[in-house]
Amino acid sequence: MSLADIASPIAKDRQEAAKASALSGFTRSDSMFYWATRLSALTVLGILGGIIISLFIGALPAIREFGFDFLTTQRWAPQMEPTPVMGALGPIYGTLLTSLIAMLIAVPVGLGIAIFLTELCPMKLRRPFALAIELLAGIPSIIYGMWGFFVLAPWLAEKFQPFMIATFGSIPVLGAIFAGPPSQLSLFNASLVLAIMILPFITAVSKDVFDTVPPVLKEAAYGVGCTTWEVVRNVVIPYTRVGVIGGVMLALGRALGETMAVTFIIGNAFKIQGSIFAPGTTISAAIASEFAESDGLHQSGLILLGLLLFVLTFAVLATARLMLLRLEMKQGK
Amino acid sequence: MTQGAAMATGQTPKAKIEVKNLNFYYGESKALKGNSLELLEHQVTAFIGPSGCGKSTLLRVLNRMYDLYPGQRAEGEVLLDGKNILDPAVDLNLLRSRVGMVFQKPTPFPMTIYDNIAFGIRLYENLPKSEMDGRVETALKGAALWNEVKDKLNASGQSLSGGQQQRLCIARTVAIKPDVILFDEPCSALDPISTSKIEELIDELRANYTIAIVTHNMQQAARVSQKTAFMYLGELVEFGDTDEIFTAPREKRTQDYITGRFG
Amino acid sequence: MNPIYASRRRSDLIVRGLCFGAAAFGLSWLAMILFSLFWNGLAGLSVTLFTEMTPPPGSTTGGLANAIVGSLMMTIVGVAIGTPLGLLAGTWLAEYGRYDRLATVIRFINDILLSAPSIIIGLFIYGFIVVPMGGFSGFAGALALAVIVIPVVVRTTENMLHLVPNTLREAASALGMPRSLVIRRIAFRAARAGIITGVLLATARVAGETAPLLFTSLSNQFWSLDITKPLANLPVTINNFVQSPYAYWKQLAWSGALLITLAVLSLNIAARVIGGERTRK
Repeated sequence: MSLADIASPIAKDRQEAAKASALSGFTRSDSMFYWATRLSALTVLGILGGIIISLFIGALPAIREFGFDFLTTQRWAPQMEPTPVMGALGPIYGTLLTSLIAMLIAVPVGLGIAIFLTELCPMKLRRPFALAIELLAGIPSIIYGMWGFFVLAPWLAEKFQPFMIATFGSIPVLGAIFAGPPSQLSLFNASLVLAIMILPFITAVSKDVFDTVPPVLKEAAYGVGCTTWEVVRNVVIPYTRVGVIGGVMLALGRALGETMAVTFIIGNAFKIQGSIFAPGTTISAAIASEFAESDGLHQSGLILLGLLLFVLTFAVLATARLMLLRLEMKQGK
Repeated sequence: MTQGAAMATGQTPKAKIEVKNLNFYYGESKALKGNSLELLEHQVTAFIGPSGCGKSTLLRVLNRMYDLYPGQRAEGEVLLDGKNILDPAVDLNLLRSRVGMVFQKPTPFPMTIYDNIAFGIRLYENLPKSEMDGRVETALKGAALWNEVKDKLNASGQSLSGGQQQRLCIARTVAIKPDVILFDEPCSALDPISTSKIEELIDELRANYTIAIVTHNMQQAARVSQKTAFMYLGELVEFGDTDEIFTAPREKRTQDYITGRFG
Repeated sequence: MNPIYASRRRSDLIVRGLCFGAAAFGLSWLAMILFSLFWNGLAGLSVTLFTEMTPPPGSTTGGLANAIVGSLMMTIVGVAIGTPLGLLAGTWLAEYGRYDRLATVIRFINDILLSAPSIIIGLFIYGFIVVPMGGFSGFAGALALAVIVIPVVVRTTENMLHLVPNTLREAASALGMPRSLVIRRIAFRAARAGIITGVLLATARVAGETAPLLFTSLSNQFWSLDITKPLANLPVTINNFVQSPYAYWKQLAWSGALLITLAVLSLNIAARVIGGERTRK
């Protein structure tokens, strides 16, 4: 194409018409692509809607039968004649208690490891340690569950629980919490496995959050002679508080809904006992162990348990996300 | 096509783009205030002024790049060959194929040097391989890059140096045969040698295209342009022949700026 | 020594000690898990694991062949369904919906689905697929996995597209390139490594998921490639074998667990290697 061609007005006209017709070929695929992406984005909402609808429809017979009593009944007798009795109190208690104990163990330890990784660990080891933690956070929960069942539970029942019962058994309140007999299947055992499972998660999230602290802030604090602990307490934690709480809530959301790490060793007992060494159950463990063999009202009751779990975790996760969102906005400024 | 005919008969250059009473808004804030000017065919028009004066904004109106973002809107008229490009019915892709743009930071696509050029051509034309090779070569020669890359056309565009990348972007723009090329501070990220190469190139491109360039560098404006527009706080303060603006500006503000008293 | 400084130093030392303790405590648990997994899992690792079917109760021969194949099938189908949907949805969030309020809502919901309990996903698919289709099937299991894949891919796709500089999009648009081409040919290409990383991470995530399969795909003791029928798979097989009274089943559970862990770890490492290449550039 010579310069004269480019300059000639007739060529220009022809060229423009050619361009226009070439572009018009894209119009269709352009709008098809747009709608494909938009509809896919809407399926995300569709999934949420589908979950709510399917849980609600499945739970409806149980809601009709038991109403609010479901929340306050401890008895679980789905096969009882003529009218079955089912209540969610036991699984709710177990879900909240195991998550609480797991968080009490995993949060301080997880934060400790995160501080260790960001402030104390020798530089050379930071990358490999952080990588190891991230990899461990990706291991499927059934692995933690079966390790808990085969390895941890026997040790706890033979060594740890007898020791605790002997030590605290005679003290008034603690004695009731740590009451015997020792058991391989108990709320405490499940909590400990849960704690170990969410530990890498808490560590990874808090390390990410700690890494958002601008180095200059920390340098400034070290510059006026602060010790490591003072930098962590006065700079790192205040700066990242919202994010850490968000990360902890996210971990709580996981703990509440976790199934496979607890099912094997919780004991599947719907009765509430004061001792944490007694067997119990959680919502997800109850569903996992009974659902496949259930039908009718029994199944509906299990789905209603699932609905309760979904509402609970939704509230916790939504709070967590809002907190993390606030942190992101702060960073954006 | 009266403009083309007039040009062919060797008369004074005609206006390729006429901007009439252009206002521009980022949301509520007004960034351009009633600008009017003409870009003449086969001339380089430079836009100078302190940061935030609206010169880049004006440039981004000429190919409606602002349309990619919500809340930005233009009022007034911008005529390209007599047709208002602010008309909502205008086909933006077609407009942009006629009004090319080269950016501040070199923006090679994540593909080979060859594909960087061929990609744009394929949008508009279905060419056999041999003809495409010729077009890629012509474009690279047009951007004075051919000799440096002819042996590594299959290397990634991102492997080139900054100055080469910028010339690759110019070649890419030229390859789809636009009428107008907009340069948005094309040399601000480049070293002096690369800069002078680009400036030479712009001067050569003038023979075939209408060119607008935004620059922070006043010497550059003086070197490459025939017309200069000085903008300040969204207003077009002074617009005229480059020689005149730099030697005998009419406005005090222009004089203060080009003598370095502010900005 | 100045008494204030001495006390500051003391509390610093105490906290340092606690952090070291926490690291030692936490890491030793995790090391123990990996140790017993490899110790017990390697003991049962043999060729028959991959060639023979899951054994009936009481048998002392047999492998996990049908469960391995079933898991592979469901994971592949699940990822194959979830990835395109997640990719397109993430694209809408990052490209078209960037200034749209709807995108904020979808992003928020997606983040919640990202950590929703997987057993709930199982209940959802049970109600939506298993009941209407009249029975458990490998396909239902794969769909449950797809529902878990989608939010992961949405999230990574959106994040990776956000990392693509806007100037690149502007440059492509400035050539007159239609929007969809700018996204497909330029933005996707620039974000490719990151998106592949996301898909690998999503695959790793579902490879060991158990809870959503318990009552969607169920399991199957026999060899089957029929995805419309209950399909054997590693996680549910492990789940059943762990709680059994038979020593050989328990041994198979350990070996299966080791296989899953190795698969998940290698997917994670592969994801990091590919993702790392991108960040180094």
